Amino acid sequence: MLWVDKYRPKSLDKVIVHEDIAQKLKKLVSEQDCPHLLFYGPSGSGKKTLIMALLKQIYGASAEKVKVENRAWKVDAGSRTIDLELTTLSSTNHVELTPSDAGFQDRYIVQEIIKEMAKNRPIDTKGKKGYKVLVLNEVDKLSREAQHSLRRTMEKYSSSCRLILCCNSSSKVTEAIKSRCLNVRINAPSQEEIVKVLEFVAKKESLQLPQGFAARIAEKSNRSLRRAILSLETCRVQNYPFTGNQVISPMDWEEYVAEIATDMMKEQSPKKLFQVRGKVYELLVNCIPPEVILKRLLHELLKKLDSELKLEVCHWAAYYEHRMRLGQKAIFHIEAFVAKFMSIYKNFLISTFG
Amino acid sequence: MEFDIPLPEELELLEANSHFYEEEDEYLNFEEPPYPYPIDGDEEKEEERVAHKEPHVRQSESSDIKGCKRPRSLISDPIVNLDEVSPASDKRSKIDDNRVEIEDEDWLRFSPVKEVVHVMEEEEEVVIPQETMLSRYASEIDGECFPITAPDGGDRVYAKFCRALGDEEVNKLDVKDKSNGLIKDPISVLLQQSEKEAFNKVLQASSEDQNETISAETSVMHEKLWVDKYSPSSFTELLSDEQTNREVLLWLKQWDASVFGSEIRSTTEAVLSALKRHSTTSHHQKSDSAFTRKKQFNRWSKESFGYSKNAEVSNTNTADINDLWNKKSKLTGPPEQKILLLCGAPGLGKTTLAHIAAKHCGYRVVEINASDERSASAIETRILDVVQMNSVTADSRPKCLVIDEIDGALGDGKGAVDVILKMVLAERKHATGKENVENVKTSSKKDRRTAPLSRPVICICNDLYAPALRPLRQIAKVHIFVQPTVSRVVNRLKYICNMEGMKARSFALSALAEYTECDIRSCLNTLQFLYKKKETINVIDIGSQVVGRKDMSKSLFDIWKEIFTTRKMKRERSNDASGSGAKNFDFLHSLVSSRGDYDLIFDGIHENILQLHYHDPVMDKTISCLDGLGTSDLLHRYIMRTQQMPLYVYFPSLVIPIHRRVAQIQKPMIEWPKSYHRCRTLLVEKQESLRSWHHKIPPYIGRHLSIKSFVEDSISPLLHILSPPTLRPVASHLLSDRQKEQLAGLVMLMCSYSLTYKNVKSDPVLSSLREDAASDALVLALDPHLFDFINFKGHQFKHHVLALAMKQVLVHEVEKQKILQASGGKSGILNKPEIKKINQDLAKKTNAAANESQRTPVTSKPPSVSVGTATTSKPNSSDVKKASRNALNFFDRFRKSRKDYEDPEDVQNRATAKRDSRPLLFKFNEGFTNAVKRPVRMREFLL
Repeated sequence: MLWVDKYRPKSLDKVIVHEDIAQKLKKLVSEQDCPHLLFYGPSGSGKKTLIMALLKQIYGASAEKVKVENRAWKVDAGSRTIDLELTTLSSTNHVELTPSDAGFQDRYIVQEIIKEMAKNRPIDTKGKKGYKVLVLNEVDKLSREAQHSLRRTMEKYSSSCRLILCCNSSSKVTEAIKSRCLNVRINAPSQEEIVKVLEFVAKKESLQLPQGFAARIAEKSNRSLRRAILSLETCRVQNYPFTGNQVISPMDWEEYVAEIATDMMKEQSPKKLFQVRGKVYELLVNCIPPEVILKRLLHELLKKLDSELKLEVCHWAAYYEHRMRLGQKAIFHIEAFVAKFMSIYKNFLISTFG
Repeated sequence: MEFDIPLPEELELLEANSHFYEEEDEYLNFEEPPYPYPIDGDEEKEEERVAHKEPHVRQSESSDIKGCKRPRSLISDPIVNLDEVSPASDKRSKIDDNRVEIEDEDWLRFSPVKEVVHVMEEEEEVVIPQETMLSRYASEIDGECFPITAPDGGDRVYAKFCRALGDEEVNKLDVKDKSNGLIKDPISVLLQQSEKEAFNKVLQASSEDQNETISAETSVMHEKLWVDKYSPSSFTELLSDEQTNREVLLWLKQWDASVFGSEIRSTTEAVLSALKRHSTTSHHQKSDSAFTRKKQFNRWSKESFGYSKNAEVSNTNTADINDLWNKKSKLTGPPEQKILLLCGAPGLGKTTLAHIAAKHCGYRVVEINASDERSASAIETRILDVVQMNSVTADSRPKCLVIDEIDGALGDGKGAVDVILKMVLAERKHATGKENVENVKTSSKKDRRTAPLSRPVICICNDLYAPALRPLRQIAKVHIFVQPTVSRVVNRLKYICNMEGMKARSFALSALAEYTECDIRSCLNTLQFLYKKKETINVIDIGSQVVGRKDMSKSLFDIWKEIFTTRKMKRERSNDASGSGAKNFDFLHSLVSSRGDYDLIFDGIHENILQLHYHDPVMDKTISCLDGLGTSDLLHRYIMRTQQMPLYVYFPSLVIPIHRRVAQIQKPMIEWPKSYHRCRTLLVEKQESLRSWHHKIPPYIGRHLSIKSFVEDSISPLLHILSPPTLRPVASHLLSDRQKEQLAGLVMLMCSYSLTYKNVKSDPVLSSLREDAASDALVLALDPHLFDFINFKGHQFKHHVLALAMKQVLVHEVEKQKILQASGGKSGILNKPEIKKINQDLAKKTNAAANESQRTPVTSKPPSVSVGTATTSKPNSSDVKKASRNALNFFDRFRKSRKDYEDPEDVQNRATAKRDSRPLLFKFNEGFTNAVKRPVRMREFLL
């Protein structure tokens, strides 16, 4: 098992990174009834870990016994019946699922499963909560209709069912839902926190961490705890005992983006743009989200740019990212950004060097 | 086609000239089939009688029956060739030689000539009357003719070629119509036709007179559409491309052998040899007369005599060509491709060509078009009717199936395509199944009864690349119609205008033709419309609304081409720039909007735009084009989301700025937009593989792993961890403790992430990446192929890759681990107390367990329980031997057990002893049906 999973805190008490939030959550569920929760924050910041720990806090050890189910629903939607299938993860007290997997029919899933959970409401035995929990992942990917249908359901069945929503960005979640939930922002852990966690892991694994090594890993990790721990383990596998200047192997796709950036700096022409397009396609094919590509590309470019250009380039990156989110074909917009950058850069070169 | 009717004077002349019969006898007999027919004695007698009765009129006709006899005398009589029209002079010299010998035979054999056709019909029913015409002037004779000079007087007349008919063959379908390609109808029919035509003309003229005088209403009723009125009735009048016409005809002719039973008339060996002997003597004469005749052919119709001309050439020239031609024409079966697919824009005359050609070759045309029923079953019966059955009615010509607009109805029209395909394929299979020694290509069929497709089928479509036609395209002979030249169309239009008495200047007509893109139908309709309105056509009309413009949607490639190229129009250049710009705008706008399919159009632009060679120093043009594309994307998404379809109207205008920026004069290479869709399908594929892998990971790990960000931030380190560089592929007992620990950890990791190595075919990309495995035929790759995700094109692959041996070890270990988990996983959690109870001797037991689970997993239940617990991440550090180690040392125990394999007996004994010492073996597995069932004695419960 990877260290990421191995040293994942199982209870709210053991949480290292977002300790204050964990304590508040603990208080929330132990003292009073738990409201609907919306966790949002970048990936690798610990949302899921907190949710799991919270479930354990609510239901005890039974929350850890989960089983995977491939469930099929038959939804009667007026004139026709819709067959849906989705993988769910459930314990006796909670159900976890990613409704956006169902595509545009996600709203049926949401309604259906909440109704179902409300129907077989657990008997309020002593020490057990009178409600079940539904964990919905990737709420920001939910369609607008699903989110609209969710808000009524949330209120209607709130006595028997609590929702824990989890997403990366709350901006795509409708206001209606946000106002019905307790919003918990899980920000990316700071570098110090990451270092702390890395040291904790190293101690558990009885490893010798050289001075500043953890900090270097933390720095490279992009403030993602998961990445930090994974790269620590990678370093351990590649070379142990650690040396202070050991190479921390980078992510492959990031290197690839860096290549693209150098390409763009080298030559500015439609022909080059065509090559860049091919590379961007490569990245997209390999499941790298386009927003991430654009962000990383900007990051790489900014490293190399003159400071007077930075502002303009950033502006256009933001502009095209916005358009990309409004549109569908990410490649159009990424390419447009690349072209824009090439143009800016070429103009700059011409004006400076003649 | 109009035939000259022999005038009474001419006939008289013929009579008068009839004393030079012998030559003509010879010359007119070239139609004889290459094989001898059995001779009917009675008929011969009868003919003899007739011959005696009218011995002086013998100039033209001989029946087939006579002809059959000819080959016997061929060697002495070289003139008698089938198809090739041997020149008269040549023959004459020959005849002079053997006049004496031939004379008596011929006198007997040759039937008397009938100038008046029905007389002949009365006399002998068997012989079908032929048209015979002699004339002083070649121009008066319709069709092939040849000159004849009288031996005594030196008078020269032109005799019309006629054909001999095979009426004896029972198996042949067409009695009347063993067409030589000259005239398909016997003279009687032709006479009737011409009479009728004349009659109609008179009638029409009179009715027109009446109409003019009486009322306009009746004229409306009588008037036919010009399109129908002037539709070509013969091959020569066809406006379509001559090459195509001729090839269609050739194709149809290739059916003759199987349909009519006659071979395409070709020279037999005997004739050839005879010819060769004499060709030297009279070569110059031959070529000379051939020349004159050729000229005459041209006058009549070039196309329809492709054959005879060919044959002629082969005869007059070398024997090589002769052989070649024979080979070609001697195919006994139908043509290689049994289906003809004509395609082209509407109004070019595809249907007309099919009809005319089929009629010309003596077929009865059966047409199925889009307006008929098109369901598969209905069409199948119709096709079978046409193709396999002979009509018993009077019109016993073989049928030729013309399926019009086969691309028209996609859903139902497919039925027709399927039926045809089925038939053709069935035949192919049959043909290849049978031994076909001679040549595979012809797929000649000996027995036509089993042949499903024995009649020509002509399919007509507008869009060759319609999806429904895809299978048909592969097996059919495809002819693409090109636009006839404007001048041809204009000529025809002018002729029609003259006939109708409409005044039209050729400039206006050519403008019209250009405007309609040489669509004759639409031209004629327009003209008729104008005529009815009593207007004359002028150029301005065409531009205005008078002429209905077809709603033409061009193909996507054409649209892209239009976008990427600047259009140079002669007329536009004369206009001022702004005007042409507006016109261009309009043109492009209507082009794009009539096509629809905007998404694809923009994809195509995106795909190709960077390949263009436009001048763009600071990428301004590129940016604005890409911005335009981006806007189209936003618009598309917005429309999709809000379902506001009216907004689609703005799409075409997005194309125009792109066109203005990048359009070039030179033609671009345009590719179909594949990359975007390929990217999308690949992405879905990879996501799917990730997802299925994700489902296999046990939930307590998998729940924290999101597919979305997996590649983004986990895959590279994971792969590094999976292939530690320190692990050496050595025997497990040679590993140091630390290495063993590492190996065990790795195995656990792979198990918990349900990863394994799998044999895959060595694919070139991968093997080049894994330098160590490149030489091996077998490559072990990770089962969910994670390396694919970091394998970017042109990217240096920096991951350390395990050696093949190491992978094999890992595969082995992982398999073992999986078996252990499977056997023990279920009960693991429940039996925790028990484990504690038996904690003290766990070490030994696990050894046994490992052993036993290898052989009989069922019996080793209790020990494997502990294994299961171990796998569920509860490391029990109860190992006696290696207590100092942490969680992973379970595996070292396991490893040790592998070393213990040499004394399995001992281990077995120990294990059974342990099991027997156990007090209770009963287990309840929470209702799982796959709980372990084993016989337990009651005594054991009572203990």
